[in-house]
Amino acid sequence: MAKSNLFEGVASVPGAPKPDPILIADGVMRSFGGLVAVNVDHFEAQRHAITALIGPNGAGKSTFFNLLTGFDNAQEGSGTFNGRPLQGMSSAHVARSGMVRTFQLTKALSRMTVIENMRLGAQEQGGENFARALLAPLWRNREKEITEQAEELLTRFKLIEKRNDYAGSLSGGQRKLLEMARALMSKPIMIMLDEPMAGVNPALTESLLDHIVALREQGVTVLFVEHDMHMVRRISDWVVVMAEGRIIAEGDPHEVMRNQAVQDAYLGSHHDTDLFEERS
Amino acid sequence: MDFNDILQIIISPTTAAFALAAIGLNFHYGLTGLLNMGVAGFMLIGMYGYGISVSHGVPAWLALIIAIVGAILFSLLLGWPTLRLRGDYFAIVTIAAAEIVRIIGRSQWLKDWTGGNTGIRGKDFKGPFEQLSPFPPRLIRVGPFQFHGTLSGSWWLILVGWVLVGVFALLFWRLNKSPWGRVLRGIREDEDAVRSLGKNVYGFKMQALVIGGVISALAGIVWAHGNAISPDSMGRTTTFWIWTMLLLGGAATVFGPILGTALFWAIYVAIKQLAPIVLPNLASTQVEPIALAAVGFGLILLIVFRPQGILGDKREIALNG
Amino acid sequence: MQQSTVSSLARNTVLWRIVAIIAIVAVLAFMIAQAAQAAPSQAESPAIGAGENRLLQTLLNGVIFGLLLALASVGLSLIYGTTGLSNFAHGEQVTFGAASAFVAVSAGAPLWAAIIIAVFAGAASGWVQDVLLWKQLRKRNVPHMQQMIVSIGLALVLINMMQIWIGPDRLRLSTESPVKKHFGPFALTPQTAMSMLICVIALGAVAYFLMRTRLGRATRAVSDNPALAAATGISVNRVIRVVWMMAAGLAALAGPLLALYGDTLDFTLGSRILLLMFAAVTLGGLGHPFGAAIGALIIGIVAELATVYAPTPDLKYAAVMAILILTLLVRPQGILGRKERVG
Repeated sequence: MAKSNLFEGVASVPGAPKPDPILIADGVMRSFGGLVAVNVDHFEAQRHAITALIGPNGAGKSTFFNLLTGFDNAQEGSGTFNGRPLQGMSSAHVARSGMVRTFQLTKALSRMTVIENMRLGAQEQGGENFARALLAPLWRNREKEITEQAEELLTRFKLIEKRNDYAGSLSGGQRKLLEMARALMSKPIMIMLDEPMAGVNPALTESLLDHIVALREQGVTVLFVEHDMHMVRRISDWVVVMAEGRIIAEGDPHEVMRNQAVQDAYLGSHHDTDLFEERS
Repeated sequence: MDFNDILQIIISPTTAAFALAAIGLNFHYGLTGLLNMGVAGFMLIGMYGYGISVSHGVPAWLALIIAIVGAILFSLLLGWPTLRLRGDYFAIVTIAAAEIVRIIGRSQWLKDWTGGNTGIRGKDFKGPFEQLSPFPPRLIRVGPFQFHGTLSGSWWLILVGWVLVGVFALLFWRLNKSPWGRVLRGIREDEDAVRSLGKNVYGFKMQALVIGGVISALAGIVWAHGNAISPDSMGRTTTFWIWTMLLLGGAATVFGPILGTALFWAIYVAIKQLAPIVLPNLASTQVEPIALAAVGFGLILLIVFRPQGILGDKREIALNG
Repeated sequence: MQQSTVSSLARNTVLWRIVAIIAIVAVLAFMIAQAAQAAPSQAESPAIGAGENRLLQTLLNGVIFGLLLALASVGLSLIYGTTGLSNFAHGEQVTFGAASAFVAVSAGAPLWAAIIIAVFAGAASGWVQDVLLWKQLRKRNVPHMQQMIVSIGLALVLINMMQIWIGPDRLRLSTESPVKKHFGPFALTPQTAMSMLICVIALGAVAYFLMRTRLGRATRAVSDNPALAAATGISVNRVIRVVWMMAAGLAALAGPLLALYGDTLDFTLGSRILLLMFAAVTLGGLGHPFGAAIGALIIGIVAELATVYAPTPDLKYAAVMAILILTLLVRPQGILGRKERVG
């Protein structure tokens, strides 16, 4: 699954159709009290790829992200995820259909242990039904499966030693890893990362990037919102640029930055991100 | 210091009733983080549901079902629009709802049903339960304890009351450890996180609300049999006492509600006994207010210095935000 | 994505707004129908007599009670606005004012002096509370919910201290027998008219303070955004100290006036109206003192109308509680509040 193959032949224009889109959005409009936050004509995210959603502050990235994941409701617009319509889908329903998300301000459930956090991430545990919960034999086996899966993920994310610690006692970076590991418990087909690098110290950045790339290798589609251009250039297969609520450019990460519209958008908002310097 | 009085109150049916109400609140607040400030209202629903039915000739078992159904309906009605509200708004709604129940119960409007502000007389509703008692109808002394065999706060009621406490404490234990309980504890922490993991948060909260509500209603019925159906005894203050009992013992623990309730009443009685000794000029009418003020003061100290209560785990206290 | 109609029914606040409006219209229609049938009235307060027109008199009673409630509630709103605390002990501040006035009167002071003493005592109690308790909790960053429970405990302590202080019996603040005077369709005693005047002056003074004085503007700034206010050099703790004194002082002023209005005083005076105060503050908008005054007037009028038009008059506070619940469901930010952004 080499990077270049996925996007061969895809035009570098806003709303460009993709060969095998897993997520499609059409005519999405969201305004807050008269201010239009998001106004996207068309958007497609390619399956099995890592797509970055970038843009200056106030571009509407987070709002668009929340709309796609069901955490906000658009006034107009429609979308499909993996062929199924997104209309009327609550955030929980979206998660159940295979699209999970993380949060910019990490939501590790502090007063629960790491392993309990992980177990909560699993789906299809009959014991979560009230009646069945009363009869332990009905769910004990599934619980064992879940625990094994959790421990395997924790080992992969190097958190296994913290298994029985309360999530609140973990460092910020460890909590980020926990949230990502927890999101993987439901074996999602698409994972939406909300500024995964926010507040992460540089020592952890490499580790996080490796984990995200590993996700793609396992066939999970990734979409992330980010400000960190270094990360965007490093690992994304495709970049979508938003400004003032609209998608203004799409393309290969190395080329899209050279797009005049993109430069204008960033410079226009006095964004002092280092867009143009290519660091190896 | 009369230890007999203290021991007597620890096992009394009123204490059992409060322990049961505290367990109900534990489902709401300890497990799910719901700020139910209207516990007394649920208790009233239970006792009115049962009492009104029995006083109109309905057999006891049916009256019990009516009371439980009433509690379920009240929980659904309360929860449907409010479970989406912020925590402290939910608290105010529950206070207001409980007040409405109490005001309607004590008003002249439905006096023929509820008995107005004097409530329903014991002889109108306690009969069926008392007749089921296996104990002889006289005062029975066992060691330091003395209760009647059948009437009002009887050995029979003690038995039934504490068995109910045991049953629902067990229920809490099982459910807390189960995946269902895990989802609720997650909801207590952060609803959005739990939604992002695919769980129907609203449905889970409603289930917790209904279960806790039914348990509190049953607590009301037990209390009524030991005392009376009196709306003025089921006001804001009673709810705050139950909160104190739960927080004292330790919210989100299995034995916390029981320990907290027993300790609350033991300390209350002890203070009432000590007050005239420590303050010799105290009039007899002033003893009760002193004890109640001590309760309030104790609540302040508890919440500031040890919010997890006696049995709670400090790392698990669910009081922030 | 976009909401589908079916799944959004339960969530849809528009639906609840419609339900609420229908409910309010139905209640009003019911009340007007009852008025048309000239339902028997059961006048609550002996200080206000039935005037020629029952409805107008009831409205006046509502305005009077609303003004008194506003005086008591404005402080509650200010405390919430500047500190985030829902103060469950505020009812006891009202009782404290009435009790202080009673003790002063019993010691021989004239009524007007007793009321002034009560206000000073109240303000002092506000100062003591902030110094000894609330400031300490703020310093330790105790979360708001825990502070609320502290206020519940404090209310328990205070109401019982009050019971020990002035006893459990019903008392009278003034031994005068009020004589009603008639002004057109209205009837009220000079005492009540004076109380109304005091309320209006006091509320006006609060408004002037908040709008025209530097400290008042600082108070509004702290209410709006404490961090920002502190960053501009405002001493947040000083503002809060003053707010506590003001709130307690205003409540202490409302206490004796309420005792005169109802011609009765006991240790539960304030506790009985605590939920009405919460209703007023919530209806007006948590943290908006003007809103609290507006909310209190509405609550007062509704309570008095319910006295006359509800199936039985003792249901009046149930009507107020229903309004409180409806407010939280339909417009939780209240009349003057701004909607919190969800996204």
